[in-house]
Formats: sequence, structure tokens, C-alpha cells
Amino acid sequence: MTTALPSQSAPSAALPGLDAATLSSLKKLTQYYAVTAFIALMIGVLLGPLQALNYGGINVYDYPLLKVLIKSYYQGLTLHGVLNALVFTQFFISGWMLYLPVRDLNVRPNMRFAWFTYLTMTAGLLTAAVPLLTNDATVLYTFYPPLEGSPVFYIGAAVMVAASLLVAGQVVWLWLAWKRAHPGRVTPVVTYMSVATWLMWVVAALGLVVEVVVMLIPWSLGLTRGVDPLLARTLFWWTGHPIVYFWLLPAYISWYAFLPRQAGGRMASEGLTRLAFAMFLVFSVPVGLHHQYADPNVQNSWKIIHMFLTFLVAVPSLLTAFSAAASLEDAARAQGGRGLIGWVRRLPWGNASMTAQVLAMVSFIFGGAGGIVNASMAFSPVVHNTAWIPGHFHITVGTATTLTFMGVMFWLVPHLTGKRLASPRTALASVWWWFTGMMLFALGMHWQGLAGVPRRAQVSASAQQAVYDAMHLGLPKAITAASGIVLFVAAILFYAVLWRTLLSRRVDDPESTPIPTSEAISAAGETLAGASPLVRRTEPLLALTFAALVLVILVYGPVIAPMLANYQFIPGQRLW
Amino acid sequence: MSRAPESAPPARLDHHALERYETAWLGVAAVMTALLFVGVLASVVSGTYPLLDAGSGHAHDGPIVRGRVDPKNLAATPFAKPGLVVDAAGQPLLNDQGTLDAYIVAGNFTFQPAVLRVPAGVPVTLHVTATDVAHGFEVTGTNINAEILPGHVASLTVTFRHPGEQHAICNEYCGVGHHNMITRFVVDPPATGAKETQ
Repeated sequence: MTTALPSQSAPSAALPGLDAATLSSLKKLTQYYAVTAFIALMIGVLLGPLQALNYGGINVYDYPLLKVLIKSYYQGLTLHGVLNALVFTQFFISGWMLYLPVRDLNVRPNMRFAWFTYLTMTAGLLTAAVPLLTNDATVLYTFYPPLEGSPVFYIGAAVMVAASLLVAGQVVWLWLAWKRAHPGRVTPVVTYMSVATWLMWVVAALGLVVEVVVMLIPWSLGLTRGVDPLLARTLFWWTGHPIVYFWLLPAYISWYAFLPRQAGGRMASEGLTRLAFAMFLVFSVPVGLHHQYADPNVQNSWKIIHMFLTFLVAVPSLLTAFSAAASLEDAARAQGGRGLIGWVRRLPWGNASMTAQVLAMVSFIFGGAGGIVNASMAFSPVVHNTAWIPGHFHITVGTATTLTFMGVMFWLVPHLTGKRLASPRTALASVWWWFTGMMLFALGMHWQGLAGVPRRAQVSASAQQAVYDAMHLGLPKAITAASGIVLFVAAILFYAVLWRTLLSRRVDDPESTPIPTSEAISAAGETLAGASPLVRRTEPLLALTFAALVLVILVYGPVIAPMLANYQFIPGQRLW
Repeated sequence: MSRAPESAPPARLDHHALERYETAWLGVAAVMTALLFVGVLASVVSGTYPLLDAGSGHAHDGPIVRGRVDPKNLAATPFAKPGLVVDAAGQPLLNDQGTLDAYIVAGNFTFQPAVLRVPAGVPVTLHVTATDVAHGFEVTGTNINAEILPGHVASLTVTFRHPGEQHAICNEYCGVGHHNMITRFVVDPPATGAKETQ
């Protein structure tokens, strides 16, 4: 960081600071993580219009040329989901949330370990990619057993997730070393947010790790005679809901700490920021049953308890909405903005990075509201597993996360490489097209879902078109198909900018594009002794992690115990 | 600098004002969350949608224990004869909880029976299981929506108020034939002479 900010720490004798060689290696590593992520997203996004056209009533999967590459709609959908939701997010976040706390704390990480982690994650990705591409793991990104994919897929996925836990370990390790070297100091806010998110992910990942390592891998290798589909689903959703916070919180880091300065203002309140992340750490995981309201053989009382905890996690997102809006308003008024909402016009709309993130927030208002609907037991049966659900998550992970990361790339690439953003105007256009495409997709899919169209179905090829014709879907189908085209244009514009930037020559000192760390209106202060009670109480992140773990065991133990006691060995099937 | 500036810069949000707004917003968020929870709970308690059985509520003939069943041995269970449970004369049979029973089997990209018929006006308990992989059971125009897992029985009780024809659609990916897994779901007018409940 080129600006001297309170969060910057002077290196101490016990803890070496970043030297030029380490910084250069770290920047290169972050670039590798980010570029690998955006290559995965590019392939996934190119498959997207095919899915949108399907829900527009146009079946493109029977074209011979496409059939050579992709055997079925379901293989295409599996690749789309795995690459966009699992690979893109995890690679970008692993680079982003290693780089930020290291720079924030100014500590020297073990770069050999960091590169080893990147290579492990990439090896896992390439391993899992083989069966995905050969149509041997067409199980979608939820891979519910007893549909049985190739063991190579489960092993590759497990290695990839394990690598993310190594990044988590390295960041927590560096943070603890910094704490020891700086007793009595308040953890700087960017580090606080990163460490809280990593610790949440460690608690969250336990379910998936147990499902894949204990159940799916031995079963797919033929070592066990079957798996219980209900227990597998329960362990999957232990991770499957908090994973969306693992995708979302790294974007929140940018909204809290960087976006205010990009908009010309200040971060609102550090205390509130810490409270939000502490709440996410404790309440993100014990909520998974809200994905299983429709599952048999689960006590309704536990479904209700998970629902209550799910609603609690809405509180830190509402706090984020407040802080983000307050900091944007502060920025706009500082630039002469007036009126109750007229100030919005004074935001720097010419800046593609800021625009991407503000549009991501706007769409997330609808996405978050839809999420509350999904989490409500009484509404869930109306929308569960209908087209409403993909409509919902394309304006959450598809914008709040993805559009924010796209916007971040516009400053992060120049910051890491010293290359200049090619064509800021095209960059700006790409984010508006993306936003428009996602809003249209969400409109069409929510609408179709309410009419009763199921998700993840090749409806355009169904032999029973009369059933869908009776739902009067002309307009929502047209909107969904159009959204696929709009998003395709958005992707071409965005990747034209990204590749032209990355392939251009290095012209500036990379550090001349700073990390846009913002000042806070209400700062936390430097020392714990002088900090507010809120800052002091949210500081012990390890204790909060322990509390999260206890809460998870309390609300999952009684759910999982009867599933173990009545374990069903159901053999695997390959039905694609 | 004793001279006041000609046009004062707009006053910016200060620490204290921000704290007031924050506290108010936190209160609003907490109240909204509480209201939401109470509202949904009221809906659950008043039965606006069919709750799924947790595996102990229904007595079955044959080896269905705690909502579990052996998918390879459905022949020994009521799932051997999918459809409404009827007596020797073909009349729907009330179970000991005062509802009719209908058994439905999902598998191989189809539902059995091929056309499900239930009477309107009487509570019917639907029992659904799968033979191969996970399926979904969604009845259009209703809020009947359940995950169907092999080895598990999803049971829910509904009363259809109006006769009519709907469709049961599989809404959980089950393989290449997933999009064709749709069947007719017919609600017949209340049978004349049948015992009216409620």
C-alpha cells in the first residue's frame, strides 16, 4: 500500500516484513490464482447461454457440432455449475484473501508453501476436470448420491477443497504470528474480515470433507456397498449453505474496505463491520437444513431451528446494506450530491470498478429478498427445486460475488502487474451488460419457477410440452432466452478487456495503483485498551470460531444421529 | 484563516450521527427478523402447507420402519401396489389415523402409478419413495413438493379441495430422462356416499 494508513504495521524484529522479492512473488501468485479463476469462469460462462436458451424453449444440445464436445444438456450444466460456482470462486478467493491480509499486516509469508498450495489446488482442478469432460461425472455441482460419478471426480474435488483449507491455515498462522508480535493491538479491519471468513470456511468445510472423504470416495471406488442419500445430502448442505457466504464475504470485504474510497468517500463504521463478520462466523454454518425442508425423515422442529438461525444471518447482511449505502452516500455528498436519493447521480459512474460493485449491490437487494423467501418454510414448497432457484442465485453469486470480482479485477490487475486497464469504456459497458443480463435472467427464471417449471431440466426437449404450454410461459421464456444473449455479449466485452490488459506491456510501477483501502468515519483505533467494547468483544476470533463449532454440533448432532442409527446402504447408479 | 469560506462545504456525516443511525438500523433489522420468524411460524402451525413426516407418524403394513424401506424389496411393502389403498370392493380404505393412503414409486424416469387418482374433500396421505436415485415430487398448482430418496419414504397429508387435473413433475435431477419424468395427477370429485371429513 502506498498510502500510510493506521492499519499498516511496522515490521518488528520478531516478525519480518514484506521484502521486495517476496512481494513480487506474492503478486505473481495472486495473479495466477485470479487468472486461473477467470479462465474457469470464461469456459463456464460460454456454456451459460446454452442453459438460458433451454429455458427459452430452444434446445441447442442436439446440434451435431456441439454434441461432439458435450454429450448432453446435463453435462453442459454440470460444467457450467462446477466451473462458475466452485472453481472460479475458490481460486479467486484463495488468491484475494491471502494477498489482502499479508499486505494489510505487512508480514512475510512462506512463499514456497503458498505456491505449493496453488499447485495442489490446480492439480485437484485438473484431476476433477478429466471425468467432467469425458461425461463420467455428470452429477451436477451438488453430486447427490446415489447418482455415482467417477472416483477421479470426487478425489480431484477433495484435493481442491483441501488446498483452500491450506490457504486458510496459512492466513490464520500469519495473523496469530502478528498478534504475538503486536500484543494489545486491534487486528486491522481488512485482516479481521479475511481471517473471520477463513475461519468460517474451516468450520463450514467439515461437512463436505466428511461426505466426500468418508462416504463418496470409498463408495465410488467400490469399497462400500452403498451410501445413505439423506446423510450425504445433510453433510453436503452443512457446507452447501455457508459456502455461499464463503463466496459473498470476500466481495463484502471490497464493499466495506475498498469501494468507499473508489467512490470518493469513507468506510462507515469499523465496529459495525467487525460485528457483521463476527456474526457471519458464528451463524453462517448451523443453517443448512433450510435447503432440506422438502427432505423426508428429518424432524420438523430442527428444520424450524435452522430456519430461525438462517434469519439471524440476514442481520449482518442488513448491516452490510446499511454500511455500504452510508459510505456511498457520504462519498456522493462530499462531491456535492443533494436530495434524499438525488445524491446517487454524484457517484463516479464513469469508473467501471465502482459501477460493477454498486450494480452488484443493487441486484443483491432482490437476490437477498428472494433468499429470505427460500429460507421460509411456508414459502419453500412453492419454489423448492423450481426455476426460481437458479433465478435467485444468479443475482446473488452471479452478481454480488462475480460482478464484484469482475470490478475488482479492473484495479487488481494493474496493481499486481503494472499494466494499464485496456479500454475503460468497454470495461464500463461490460458491467452494465452483465447486470442487465442477470436481472433479465432472474426475472424470467423466477417467473417460470412460480409457474411450476423445475430447475435443472432440459425442458426444451421434454416430450410433454403440453404440460409447459398450459403454464403460459411465452413472455418469461423470451426474457430468459434474451438474457443468455445479453450475458454472452457482456462476457465478450469483459474478456476482451481482461485479455487485452493482461497481454499488454507493463508500463507503470505496480504500486502506483494502490489497494484502495478506505478511511473509516468511526475507526476502531489502534489499541484494544482504547477501543470500543464492540471492537474488544469481537476481537477474539478463535473463541468465536469455537462458539460456532459448538453451535454447529448442537444443531446438527440431533439431526445426524438418527441418520447414522438408521443408515441405509444404497448402491450407486449411473443414469446419464 | 479567520475569514469564513464563501460557500461552506456540505457537512459530512460524523461519528456520532453515524452511530445513532447504526443503532436504529440494527433495531429495525432485529425487529424485521423477529416478525419474519413469527409470521412463518404462524403459517407452519396453522398448516398452510403439508409438513413432511419425520419418519414415525404413520403405521404401515410391511417393513417400513422409521420412514426407511429397502428399495430392493418394495414387493414386500404397500409400494408393491402403487396407487390409492382400497378394500376388496375397490372402495378407498381409511387408515387408523383417519386418512386415505396413496403409495407412489419414482424410478427409471417414471412415476407409478402412471396416473394417480385421489378423491377431493378427504385427507389423503401420500407416501413416495424411489427405487434408483434421488427424484423430486412436485404437484403443479399446489404446494406439494418433496425430495424422494431411495431407502426413504416421504409422507405428507393433504386434502384436495377441488377436483381437477394437475401434473406431478420430477424436480430433482435424476439422469438423462429427467425432463420426461412427468405424470398426470387427477383429483376426482368426492365419491357419492363417501364419508365426508370436515
